[in-house]
Amino acid sequence: MNRRSLIAAAVVLIVAVALLASTLFTVDQRKQAIVLRFGRPVRVINALGENNPGLKVKAPWENVVFFDKQNQGLDADTAEIIAADQERLSVDAFLRYRITEPVVYYTSLGDDATAHDRLDRLISATLREVLGSANHTDIISGRRAQLMQQATDEVAAQAKAERLGIQVIDLRIKHADLPEANAEAVYQRMKTERQQMAAQIRAVGEQKKLEIMAEADKEATITIATADGDAARIRGDGDAQRAELFAKSFGRDPSFAAFYRAMQAYDTALGQGDTTFVLSPDSAFLRYLKTGPGR
Amino acid sequence: MPWSDNSDTGVKPGQKPGGKPGPWGAPPSSPGPRDEDQGEANRPRGDGPRRPGPPPSPPDDLVALWRRLRKRFEDEFGAMGPGLGRRLIPALIGAVIGFWMLSGFYDVQANQEGVVTTFGAYSRTAGPGWHYHLPVPIENVEQIPVTTVKQTNIGSRTGDLPKESLMLTGDENIVDVAFSVQWRVDDARRYLFDIKDQEDTIKAVAESAMREVVGRSTLTDVIATGKAKVEAQSAALMQKILDQYGAGVTVVSVQIASANPPAEVVPDFQAVQSAAQDAQSAINQATAYSNKVVNEAKGTAAQKERAAEGYRQQVIAEAQGQTDAFNAVYAQYRRAPAVTRERLYLETMERVLGKSAKVIVDAKGATAPIILPPDVFRPRTPDATQAAPTPDQSSQAAAQPAQPAQPAQPGAGQ
Repeated sequence: MNRRSLIAAAVVLIVAVALLASTLFTVDQRKQAIVLRFGRPVRVINALGENNPGLKVKAPWENVVFFDKQNQGLDADTAEIIAADQERLSVDAFLRYRITEPVVYYTSLGDDATAHDRLDRLISATLREVLGSANHTDIISGRRAQLMQQATDEVAAQAKAERLGIQVIDLRIKHADLPEANAEAVYQRMKTERQQMAAQIRAVGEQKKLEIMAEADKEATITIATADGDAARIRGDGDAQRAELFAKSFGRDPSFAAFYRAMQAYDTALGQGDTTFVLSPDSAFLRYLKTGPGR
Repeated sequence: MPWSDNSDTGVKPGQKPGGKPGPWGAPPSSPGPRDEDQGEANRPRGDGPRRPGPPPSPPDDLVALWRRLRKRFEDEFGAMGPGLGRRLIPALIGAVIGFWMLSGFYDVQANQEGVVTTFGAYSRTAGPGWHYHLPVPIENVEQIPVTTVKQTNIGSRTGDLPKESLMLTGDENIVDVAFSVQWRVDDARRYLFDIKDQEDTIKAVAESAMREVVGRSTLTDVIATGKAKVEAQSAALMQKILDQYGAGVTVVSVQIASANPPAEVVPDFQAVQSAAQDAQSAINQATAYSNKVVNEAKGTAAQKERAAEGYRQQVIAEAQGQTDAFNAVYAQYRRAPAVTRERLYLETMERVLGKSAKVIVDAKGATAPIILPPDVFRPRTPDATQAAPTPDQSSQAAAQPAQPAQPAQPGAGQ
């Protein structure tokens, strides 16, 4: 026993471990595995649609490549698109896809980097084609969802036709922006729009101001005119009542009333000492001055 | 391990001691502990070059210790005799296995779900609490927060990401939108297994959805009135897309943190604001003017009406007084009309002429105009400065003063 058997045990252990390492492998839930025998795919484990991940066995001379089973994304390069109305747009899109036929994927594309390259070219060609036939307003707003659906279908059909072994789930436009130069033009337009809006608001304010002031002036004028009218009526009424009083009273003896009133008027009008009288001796007042004590 | 005790010199058997020649010259890559001759023979010599001036006694002690340990090791391992060695190795192996097995305990927090995989294959989902899975190469666990709401910020103003936050609106304006998405995992298994780069996916979907919605809205909708609508629509669209992907994610809400016109046009937007304020202040001015003018007019009107009323009362009262006076005089007059008339006339003339300058001219038979000296016309009262009547006044006109006339003005009081 002891040293020799110990070494033998160690050798056996090492061989066993090496054997296990070359025959056992785990397939993650998220992956699908292709078992290759001398570079030729012989079987697929945990392919899409079947669910058998876990610890698996292979022959030591076989090896395994893994591909994602998940819904995965690919950010496409920014593409400069010329819309049908000759407006330029820079479009960023992303693709969601899933590897459905790993063997096809492996044989036609080999690895993920190649696949990404291929898909990238496919996406930009499709976007050019689909978006190039639409007006830029449609791309930005009007028919964006439809265009994205159309592009998705297009890419899906292409991927199928080219036998890439993938299923296209969705192609979505992330950004569809105007290039820098056009953006400047938009800023300029936004500026002028705002300036015009500001001028309009000011003008409307000024107009309202004038309207309010004119209305106020009108109202003031009417108020005063009405008051003038009322005042005239009241004064007239006063005058009328006065005339009535005088008429009633003086009418009893018009001759005496006239005389009496004249006397009062003389008193007021002539009796202030600022009048020089040039009298004739024939006047009634001077009667006795001329005739003397008389008859 | 006992044999590694020689490391108290700072050098383990397998290590090259920092570029200097080792105590054993060039040491083999892994000197087994069983290279006894080399270890024992070189030990004392080896210490020399490494520690230039150590006292002689410690090496002796070390050598002694080393020998003791070697002996013990051989007792245990080499000889496999009765004693400690028999039980130590299994104990060690047992301990290692024990620790390995123990490493399978894991804790799932209250807000998490633990997804356990066996050799990479999904096996079960564990709720909150302590659980056990077979140790690592066999089983593994990933704890996914399912009730915690996560937040993804897009176009936040802190980072300089103009591209991410500038968007085109439906009316072809550019708007700068920073928003955040609140979401949580509602199906940990799908979240974990069915979708790759989950957080990047959510961000990309959020950007795409927000841009699509902003692309359908107008600038005013986005920056002012329709913010809530834009938020709700993009949340719904996001949810739809993520459901289509089978992401196992629930979008809780989309919140627009800020939606502003781009920096280039901000001054013009502010100009619109200040124009609105100017307009409002013009209107306010006009209203103030209106209030002032209208109320002043009302005041003036009231004043005029009161004045008129006053006048009315005044003339009536005066007329009343005058007619009363006349009536009184008339009552007396009726008793002796001729005498009263004469008396009234003379009394009036007395008062009038008594105060006035008088010239009595007998113009009868005069052929030439009579020239009167100017000082005759000087008023007798000092305060009367009126110009005197013209000198060539005809005497006839002045000779007829007593023509009774209808009173046009209210006469002076009695």
